[in-house]
Amino acid sequence: MNQHTQYADALALYAMDALDDPRELRELQEHLGTCGECRRELESLRADTALLAFSATGPKPPQRSRQRLMEAIAAEPRHVVKPKSRFVLGRLQSRWLALAPIAVSVILAIISIGLMQESLRLRNKNEKLTAELVDMRSKSQLAREVMDMINDPSLPRMTLVGVKTPPQPQVRTIYKPEKGHVLLLANNLAQLPDDKVYELWLIPQQGAPMPAGTFTPDSKGGTMMMHAMETEGIQAKAFAVTVEPRGGSREPTSEIMMEPAS
Amino acid sequence: MSGTQVSTPKEEAALIARIRSGDESAMGDLYDRYSGVVYGVALRVLGNTTSAEDVVQEVFLQLWRNPQAFDVDRGRMAPWLAVIARNRSIDLLRKRPMEEDIDELPISTGVNLEDEAAQKIAADKVRAVMGQLPAEQRKALEMAYFEGLTHTEIAGRTGEPLGTVKTRIRSALMALRKAFA
Repeated sequence: MNQHTQYADALALYAMDALDDPRELRELQEHLGTCGECRRELESLRADTALLAFSATGPKPPQRSRQRLMEAIAAEPRHVVKPKSRFVLGRLQSRWLALAPIAVSVILAIISIGLMQESLRLRNKNEKLTAELVDMRSKSQLAREVMDMINDPSLPRMTLVGVKTPPQPQVRTIYKPEKGHVLLLANNLAQLPDDKVYELWLIPQQGAPMPAGTFTPDSKGGTMMMHAMETEGIQAKAFAVTVEPRGGSREPTSEIMMEPAS
Repeated sequence: MSGTQVSTPKEEAALIARIRSGDESAMGDLYDRYSGVVYGVALRVLGNTTSAEDVVQEVFLQLWRNPQAFDVDRGRMAPWLAVIARNRSIDLLRKRPMEEDIDELPISTGVNLEDEAAQKIAADKVRAVMGQLPAEQRKALEMAYFEGLTHTEIAGRTGEPLGTVKTRIRSALMALRKAFA
């Protein structure tokens, strides 16, 4: 629960159906759709409330209660045998008409059981779809952010080119300081050994380069990366690229191989 | 409810299998084992013996109609019935139509509730923990669980900020969990 503490109090309320803020309820349900840890915590909270219910046990119902239940059970229809599905055309004989109410009851019971099973199936499906919807929303949000950054001419753009010989690898960065988001689009990058990655560095107005994400090119030398800086609002003087051990470095350990084009 | 009857998971599975096969005497056995749990919770919430009896009837009849609702592999019968009894009682208290479908999430407490003696020990322990809670925590938790009030309603009644009410309820539940850890 460490990374989900913002939901902790709301989860406890949700476990006993006491959360009534529609916005909080919606956010929590969406989160539960994607977070197994919080779903497990919800189960634990429900178990805690079950213990609470146990504190009320003690009094016994009067004897007539058992008798009443057994009589009600005896009066309940049970074990519906599903008839073969068959349509019969023609006039019903009168003796069959006498059985019509029973037949209707049987059919209704079958339909009820079917609907109950369908309800359970739909509930399971609904939970799955909720999780998928949240995932799609997350991807959609990322796509929107990418498009916003590409289409926003006011954001600082830099094109980094290879320092040495052609074919020139090219890296374009788009940076949104207020959110700390860096979008990187690259092509013509050389392939690296398995234990190496490219690492993007944000060069701030003052201070040391800051890691801005690692990336590896696809088979054609291209790639796209979206990185969120640890801190928002950093003003960038430039970006640079180095080759680092897989997993990235906290500070550059090799020479800058790509820097802003002059 | 007999104090000598023990309900292991295997016995609960056998009981449910009998109910599924239409054995009415199995419902009698089930009632003998768990009616105290259901009735106690209903009486605590509703404070009225007639209404509590109605909840007992409703809960057991629903289980008779739909025994598949209890999944023997995912929880134990006693806490499951206790939670259903609480939820149906709150429905009645708040004049909401009772759920017709008994299907509820499985409850797995990890606490020994296998016979009446174990259940009594657990109930006494919960009451002791509740008695040791700060009064305002206990009150907030009881208002939410046994009176079915939402956190907004509790804040309105106690005059406390919403955030305080939420934190108190969770803290009380955590104290309960810790006592049984």
